[in-house]
Amino acid sequence: MKLLLSLATVWFAVVAGHTAEMLRIPAGDYAPPLRAAGEPERVAVAAFALDEQAVTNADFLRFVTEQPKWRRSQVSPLFTDESYLGHWAGDLELGPLAPPGAPVVRVSWFAARAYARWAGKRLPTTAEWELAASAGFTRPDGKNDPEHTRAVQHWLSRPVPAILPDTQSARPDFHGVRGLHGLIWEWVEDFSTAMVTGESRADSGLNRDLFCGAGAVSSRDPGDYAAFMRLALRSSLTARHTTTALGFRCAQDLPLP
Amino acid sequence: MKIIVCLSTLLLVSAALAAPAPKEDCCKEAPPSAGPISARSIYQLDATFRDDADRPVALAALRGRPVVLAMFFASCGYACPRLVTDMQALRGRLPAELRDKVAFVLVSFDTERDTPAALADYRRQRALDGAWTLLHGGKDAVSELAALLGVKFRREPSGSFAHSNLITILNPEGEIVHRREGLEGGLEAAAQAVIANAAHRR
Repeated sequence: MKLLLSLATVWFAVVAGHTAEMLRIPAGDYAPPLRAAGEPERVAVAAFALDEQAVTNADFLRFVTEQPKWRRSQVSPLFTDESYLGHWAGDLELGPLAPPGAPVVRVSWFAARAYARWAGKRLPTTAEWELAASAGFTRPDGKNDPEHTRAVQHWLSRPVPAILPDTQSARPDFHGVRGLHGLIWEWVEDFSTAMVTGESRADSGLNRDLFCGAGAVSSRDPGDYAAFMRLALRSSLTARHTTTALGFRCAQDLPLP
Repeated sequence: MKIIVCLSTLLLVSAALAAPAPKEDCCKEAPPSAGPISARSIYQLDATFRDDADRPVALAALRGRPVVLAMFFASCGYACPRLVTDMQALRGRLPAELRDKVAFVLVSFDTERDTPAALADYRRQRALDGAWTLLHGGKDAVSELAALLGVKFRREPSGSFAHSNLITILNPEGEIVHRREGLEGGLEAAAQAVIANAAHRR
């Protein structure tokens, strides 16, 4: 049975040009760590499909092989910074620092989006990603799974290794998704809205003229430290940024085509 | 199957955009510059918009002229009307011979309500002449353009948008040469940037 499954996965990979199996994340809701004034405490999220694992170096290599404008030597400086795929040995060569099965990192939001489009998918939204990431190992609500909470906090306390482990090395969570915590940080479609909060046009605050609507933010219980870390990371990024621990995975609407 | 369809659409679109802009999509006054698009040009963006006459517009159709560009939404009650007024004031600071040669472009965040027809209404309300291009785009086109320009925006529960107030000046190649942030001052510097870059026209 297991063998049949892996054969099916391989077949799918050949057909679609990427290896990720997609899993169904049931509908739920997401409570943003910071909220705009008047924004509901919880945002409803429809069921969606999410890649089982982050996009790997091997996956991304197939993409740049087919789409030369995303190769390191050819990419426009508008869409990535100078460290884009900097750990690869060459344009079409992974090399010792980028094992085929490890998640691809040093990719910008533009590059992640281009990959997703190429694969016929899209990036998950913040709400979708956080909903998926709220699952524990053995139950859908990870915050009530002490083993899971410990694992997440343990990861946050460790430096990022120079060579990332295989995406399949991460333990699957309740939904079967691997590595949402513990391997890398991941791009989301709407990362740039992380600090765009508030409806306070009546304020005479500092940002009023620079930013229409910037202002009051009400903070939720900061118990979920990891969620705050992700919020801080997203708000510090621009779309052409690349970092040594930032990769991505794709999502799709349900039902799948 | 869907994937194959998406891929082939993507290929067609990329092929269309990689080729020089076809005549009918092109700007009325100035022909586009020849040759490949510069690496720092925002015309590298593979995105198609629709104007307020519901015609498809590739951003690269603006190539060959300096551009004054802002993102906005038509139902905005506070900042956007001021942005448009500022763009008009900036135009007034240009030498007379440049006023009709520079493109003034408004791109809406509001992919749902700012249809080409709604933008045509906006053009009438604000009495915007032929120097103005009003663009409606899909979600992908709008968020990628915003990311390129450094404009942050977010739809609020009320349906309006929180957004950066930014006027961007592009040279005839589509490279960002000046950014005017906020709603106070800076118009003279922006006008000078337009004048300096208009001089480089072929």
